Amino acid sequence: MSLLPFLLVTGLGAIATLMLRDRQRAATRVGVVALIAAVVTGLLIRPSQVIEIGTGGIATTDYLRLFLVLGALVALLLAVVGEATGSRRDAPAVALGILATSALALSLPDPGVAVLAATAGGAFGALVALAPVGGRVGATVGARVLRATAVASTMAIAATAWFGRDLSQLAAQPIVFGLAYLAFALAVAIRFGAIPAHTWAARLTEAVPETTLPLVTALAPAALAIVALAWADASVAPLALDLGSVRVVVLAVAIASIVLASIAAWIQEDIEHVVGYAIVGDAGVVMLAIAALDPAAWAPARTWILSFVVARSAFAAWAAATRATFGTGRITELRGWAVRAPVLAVVLALVVVASIGLPGLAAAEARGALVGLVLDGPLAAAVLLGTLSPLLYYGRLFFFGIERPGRTPRVPWRPVISGIDLTHLRGWLARTWSDNRLVTATGSAALLAVLALVVSAGAFGSPQAAAGLPPTIGISVESFAPGEPLPPEGSDAPSAAPPDATPDGSPSASSAPTAPSQEPSGSPSFEAVPTT
Amino acid sequence: MNPILAGIALAVVAGTVVAVSSRDARTTILGLAVVLIGSPVLADPIPAPLGLATRIVGAILAAYLLWVVARDRPGAGVPSAVTGASRIGWPAESLVAAAAFVVGFAAHGLGAPALGSPLASAAGFAVAALAMPATLTGRDVLRVGLGSVLLVDAALLVRAALGGTPDELEQLIASGTLVVLAGTLATLAGSARADGTGGFGFSLEGRTRRHREPDAHPSDAI
Repeated sequence: MSLLPFLLVTGLGAIATLMLRDRQRAATRVGVVALIAAVVTGLLIRPSQVIEIGTGGIATTDYLRLFLVLGALVALLLAVVGEATGSRRDAPAVALGILATSALALSLPDPGVAVLAATAGGAFGALVALAPVGGRVGATVGARVLRATAVASTMAIAATAWFGRDLSQLAAQPIVFGLAYLAFALAVAIRFGAIPAHTWAARLTEAVPETTLPLVTALAPAALAIVALAWADASVAPLALDLGSVRVVVLAVAIASIVLASIAAWIQEDIEHVVGYAIVGDAGVVMLAIAALDPAAWAPARTWILSFVVARSAFAAWAAATRATFGTGRITELRGWAVRAPVLAVVLALVVVASIGLPGLAAAEARGALVGLVLDGPLAAAVLLGTLSPLLYYGRLFFFGIERPGRTPRVPWRPVISGIDLTHLRGWLARTWSDNRLVTATGSAALLAVLALVVSAGAFGSPQAAAGLPPTIGISVESFAPGEPLPPEGSDAPSAAPPDATPDGSPSASSAPTAPSQEPSGSPSFEAVPTT
Repeated sequence: MNPILAGIALAVVAGTVVAVSSRDARTTILGLAVVLIGSPVLADPIPAPLGLATRIVGAILAAYLLWVVARDRPGAGVPSAVTGASRIGWPAESLVAAAAFVVGFAAHGLGAPALGSPLASAAGFAVAALAMPATLTGRDVLRVGLGSVLLVDAALLVRAALGGTPDELEQLIASGTLVVLAGTLATLAGSARADGTGGFGFSLEGRTRRHREPDAHPSDAI
């Protein structure tokens, strides 16, 4: 089973790095080596493989492999930027833990169990708040992260438990289905720090370096969001209930996050706050997908999530490199930054294109498709315009960046490498690293920005992988290799039952996938018994 | 009703009352250990031995990780630390738990036939009723964290009550999740306790918005 090496590398790597946390250098080296190994083992994952454990098991998919490879690559580059700019010692361990739990969450067919794995990922994230000095502040912020994770997890577990049985004899109003759906949707919102559940994320933003922020507020919750999408499409959407009132709540969270987060980012004085709210704003688009309750949202949502994670990580890396270069994160103190450091300006420009997207790029198309699925008319146009609102804070950053810097010299961007001292190679390496910290940070941020643009454009087969079915035990369901069976045409939904089936509310995770119906059935699939 | 299961359910609830009521950190962890060990047993039918063993070993490990942080270390100069106890006292907490227990038992299945034990539902509701205030209104790291672990365990109990006995893989993942939660909590609590004399208490700085100074990052190391 090709997923096991990845699980072993990331799981054991996280434990080893945490056990070495009192020896910072050793922990960092072990963490970085484990992240490199995670990239390699991620590339070796083969889709459509299954390990059966008892009555359950884990299965691999194309999307799982892509998510993990991109996640490991992003975590590795963020770790390099973090190390170059002076970051927290636990960041690589947290990244490894989140990758291990994400691998489990995305390979488990049962959403109820996958939620547990995603919860562990959220708990790992609390550790980034810890600082070597002033541990009480970090612990306080970390406890808030842990609390948000636990509350969200409880809601999600309860929601999946509600559906995970025979509900044909339900003696309650159908609204309970809506409540279960709402609970899971709000759980995802809490984990992303979406508005109005953003307080914990805002405090986290103030307490941790920029490079660790995407791990906790983008990568880890992304796994839960994917599980939520699969669960909603498999359990809620086929029931074809009128959940309008509940969807309005989810939609309100999504729109509020998209618009208000951009405004919040626009008025912030520190670039780390801009990064934090930028992540919240993009997470609003994920909430749109959850509000859609339509199998057609499956593929664009998963495409957007990939792009979102990489693009926001690139933005965070740019912020860290900028702060390290100029010694400040205050926007008003960064006047002329783009003139003095043109490479950083190029990096931010790439991030802008990747996150906003140009027509034709996969991420932009996915975002447009999600808006179109959920809304129509003038509101759809307004929300679509709202998704372009990040231009506000990007524009502000560039506005300050192109101001004349006066006589302040440009920031050197070429690497400084002295002749190799073979008699003291270790010392030469340390000196070279020390001399090139800023160049390394900027270069790694540039790599991330290019990766973000490539993923946003739909490279690596991300739209095809995103359209694949979720992990399933018992049958090979997801392969796009030539000569192998493709999913039914037009089926970008994970599980919707055929129209003549009689869904009973139980998840279809462990059953063989069936051709999904694009049209919901016209009537509820159970008989509600009126309660008195 | 199986009397042994009923006894275990009561032990789980009693453990929760102790965990949220006591000021002594070690006593609260003992209560948590009872809850975590008893919870997987509250299933009908009883879980497979391997799955059950996984949960119990995980529960012991989770409790031990917290115990390491909470124990007194006078030789290391770390003062004794207490955690924020219940504001309404253990008798009131017990009554809240009893009421939630009855509600959980009566509402078993939540409107539809359930596959698990009603005692798991009752215990799950009781644990959740006590864990929620600790999680949401706690003023120290250990209390908020313990509440969080209890809350997730309560959700697992309700899941077992609705969906039936978890299989071995689910037990393994649940065990790992609880260990990660407890391990993270232990790291956070240890960090708080090692910083000054405030024990596990929250920092005032971390509770409110603050502006980061330009030199907040260790960029001067460059």
